[in-house]
Amino acid sequence: MLARPDPVAIGRVVATELKPSTPHQFHFWTANETSIGIGAIVRVGEGVGRGDVGSGRVVYGVVTDGFAYSDLATPLHDVIGAEGDPARAAESPTVRQEIRYWTAAVLRQIPEEPLQPVPLGQVFVASDTDVAQALRMDAYLHSATPTAIPIGLYTSGGLEAPVYLDADFLLGPEAAHLNISGVSGLATKTSAVEFLLASIFRHFPAHKGKVAAVCFNVKGPDLCFLDQPGELSDEDRRRYDLLDVPAAPFERVHYFAPLKADGVNLNTLRTHPELVDDVTPLTWGLQEVVDFAEVLLNRDDIDAKADAFIDYLRDRVLGRSFDDGFGGAHHVTTFADLERFFRSVFDGLETSGRSDTWRTHHIATMRKVRNRLLNISTRCKGLVTDDGPASDLPWGSFDDRAVYVIDVANVDPLGQDLVFARAVSKLREHLERRDLGVDAVVVFVDELNKYAPGDGPETYVKKMLLDISERGRYLGLVLFSAEQFRSQVHRRVVGNAGTQVFGRMDMDELATPGYQVLSPATKIKLATLPVGELMVRHPHFTQPIFVRFPKPPVLRGRDGMGRFPAAVDLPFEDAVARQLVHMDRRIRPNQVKDLIADRTEEDVRRALAAVRQKRPEDVLAHFRKMLGGRVASDAPRERQVVPPLNPISDEPY
Amino acid sequence: MTWWDALVRAGAVPAAYVPPASMGRTDADDGAEPGADLVEGDAVAVHAVALAPPPPASFLDGIEHWKVVGYDGVLPVVRAYVAAAVRRRGPDRRLRTAFEASREFAIAPLAGLAPERRRALEEHCPDVVDISIEEGTQPGRVLELARRAVDSARQALERQLAERALARLGETEWLVVDGLLSVSGKLAGHPRALGVIKSHGAQFFSGADLERALTVPADTRTSVFRARGGHARNEVYSWYLRLWPWEGNDLLYGLLRIEARADEATIANAGATSGWLLAERAPIATPDMRWDRLLYPIHDVETYLKARAPRDLSASRTSRLPRTGTCSRVQIPSPSAASWRPS
Repeated sequence: MLARPDPVAIGRVVATELKPSTPHQFHFWTANETSIGIGAIVRVGEGVGRGDVGSGRVVYGVVTDGFAYSDLATPLHDVIGAEGDPARAAESPTVRQEIRYWTAAVLRQIPEEPLQPVPLGQVFVASDTDVAQALRMDAYLHSATPTAIPIGLYTSGGLEAPVYLDADFLLGPEAAHLNISGVSGLATKTSAVEFLLASIFRHFPAHKGKVAAVCFNVKGPDLCFLDQPGELSDEDRRRYDLLDVPAAPFERVHYFAPLKADGVNLNTLRTHPELVDDVTPLTWGLQEVVDFAEVLLNRDDIDAKADAFIDYLRDRVLGRSFDDGFGGAHHVTTFADLERFFRSVFDGLETSGRSDTWRTHHIATMRKVRNRLLNISTRCKGLVTDDGPASDLPWGSFDDRAVYVIDVANVDPLGQDLVFARAVSKLREHLERRDLGVDAVVVFVDELNKYAPGDGPETYVKKMLLDISERGRYLGLVLFSAEQFRSQVHRRVVGNAGTQVFGRMDMDELATPGYQVLSPATKIKLATLPVGELMVRHPHFTQPIFVRFPKPPVLRGRDGMGRFPAAVDLPFEDAVARQLVHMDRRIRPNQVKDLIADRTEEDVRRALAAVRQKRPEDVLAHFRKMLGGRVASDAPRERQVVPPLNPISDEPY
Repeated sequence: MTWWDALVRAGAVPAAYVPPASMGRTDADDGAEPGADLVEGDAVAVHAVALAPPPPASFLDGIEHWKVVGYDGVLPVVRAYVAAAVRRRGPDRRLRTAFEASREFAIAPLAGLAPERRRALEEHCPDVVDISIEEGTQPGRVLELARRAVDSARQALERQLAERALARLGETEWLVVDGLLSVSGKLAGHPRALGVIKSHGAQFFSGADLERALTVPADTRTSVFRARGGHARNEVYSWYLRLWPWEGNDLLYGLLRIEARADEATIANAGATSGWLLAERAPIATPDMRWDRLLYPIHDVETYLKARAPRDLSASRTSRLPRTGTCSRVQIPSPSAASWRPS
């Protein structure tokens, strides 16, 4: 075994009455030319010089502030010395004595007890081993069941030491959730999450089971190309090797996107012919939506009476055989069925002239609920279908190490709320029952400023995010969230994130109270962080640590759009034909076009949805069957005039 | 156990007196009556000096600290520390130590001490300087003799270091010494050694020449003269150089006296030498009170030496105990308050 050369001291701890060493902070000086800077990890070792006391105590610290000053008593003396000419000041024969004086926050002391002020020892640059010790990573890096997940490289003074998070504290059950803040447009937040997911998939401990990720793509093509390789430099590949993370795109990515209003073209930017086949339409019917009616109905819509009627519908009507009391039997499973049910009840009330209430519910309340519910399919057209079966995520059969991307970037805010609320609720349900297919799910939500703002109304989505933040870790439901302004996100959402990551920050944001614990130097570093560098706070780290992560191995959204530009929307017939051909290559487009000629688009959409859900052996035959025979339309029947339920009486009393 | 502890154990009364004159050195010329022979012109003239970039140079300075650590009767026993260093200025314009030496010793009138105190001192202190006094000598006079002994030790150390530095001086490098050049024959005879004197206890002129010499304007120098008397044990040439305007301040404000080898070349180069010495006034040597006459590199050597001197020999302006209540970050209760208990 080769003996390691003795490290060379780069500084020395100094303490004065005004700036003493404490158990949590110390000060040291270095040569003017030194490799350390803000964020550097240093080790204060037992002194070996004359007069040093060998206490055996080792202290690790991270540099939080730096000062440089000379022996100049006042700036005026420099002016006098240079006789008012700045150029002459630079030409003075001797350079003034200067100091590089650093403040460091204690990361760890060994031994931990008794906790004492930092001794006045020599300061060394931390080695790989020191970094692991300083960040308490040794406990989960070298244990019998390691739970270390690499998040990046600590790079300072020429050192590149991997920094690991503890899976127990990143993905539960000890703590969980990760929140990342940073200004937009630097490709840091999304890139960091993409890299971290790759790292989790590679290093998630076997004893913790299976893991998957559900990512909500809420803007542009950010997450649309996770299965496509991006360009990596040799430097990036070297870093991947150091971190033992494969420099390759995700192997299993499943894309889901709602349809557009035409019901056949996908509402996503991943519509390039080479990629669109991997996108599964996300369409929900009444059954899927009604449990989340609150998401779509605002507070003005919902009063106690309306709420009671919705509950009645849920409990007694939907999905059951139901007699409306006017001779009509219903089995309501779709919005179309619901419309028929309402029409039957209203007609019944009108024709019978009995009353303006039905089963204790006032007709006005019923009309209001009917309007709101049936409007959902209009407002979220493409996501919510009037009729036909749903196409959904594979609840119960999630793949290990798979990413499920739900693209709602082009969906209106209401639809985004609905998708988010339902997807998260389903994840929670299945994780509670332990039948999702995986043991832990990372849910990635960007734009938390929009979905969980610190102020503003209490929305259903915000409640859901709070619920994940506060209770998700017990279930294995882990929230990875990102936003631009952390100070404007609900405190409990960010506060419950065990791991907090910061990219380049805006100075105004850094001036908010949440960042008071950071030194001015750390704030400046945060405000000027280059792409690919992050500041990480993790339960095991007593101080924030700066790490560098490699460029994610996937195609970035913008680059992806250049390589795989979105296809223009196809005409209705062509879009239907393409979907059927995708399911069965033997089908010729003209066959489909002949079949759907003269058919209403509603019928075609319903038949297509049924085929999509069943995935039959003979696609065309099943499609034909679902379309049914051509039936000539009847002329509309003349309707009898129905007298009003409460005719206005001429009676003056 | 330190030697002064041993001395106290042997019956001396402990003391911690730092005489006001102990923290520095004196350049007062207290030797023979000084005089001057002009070697440049017939009368003291004023010559304008043009700024010039300094050549490679090293700077030498020394310090002396001493204090009374015990009394045997009324006879003081002094602990002294002298140090000197040569710091060389590199191409990066930073000063780095090339040579340094220090000496820590005791000074006592051994003959006047009680036998047990003398034995304790001689047994425990490896370096004792004896000062001879007559019986009944006043303590103040003993202290003055001690000061001279310290001064002498410091000068010897400086001389020794200067001669070492001269032996290793580069071909174009100068050695600038804080103080008299004439105390050393080797220094006084070296073509690239300069003495820079800030104190003007000895005056070499009188009458109109004195007035012209002491009122020389800023950025000018006087004629070169041969210095006689004072400390001048070796022949040197000298001239006055004004770094900063004295009007509005004091007659001696910014006034230096330069000593160099007694040679024709010194006269020929006095202007050029003054030019680069003038350039050395920046950066100014604040916060030292003598900054108008103290060249920054000399100040730097002094600061270096002081930083390495024993702390307990420095005259502390205040108690070394933490100043309770004066520091916002630490509150240390006074020992008396901590130990007080109501009865």
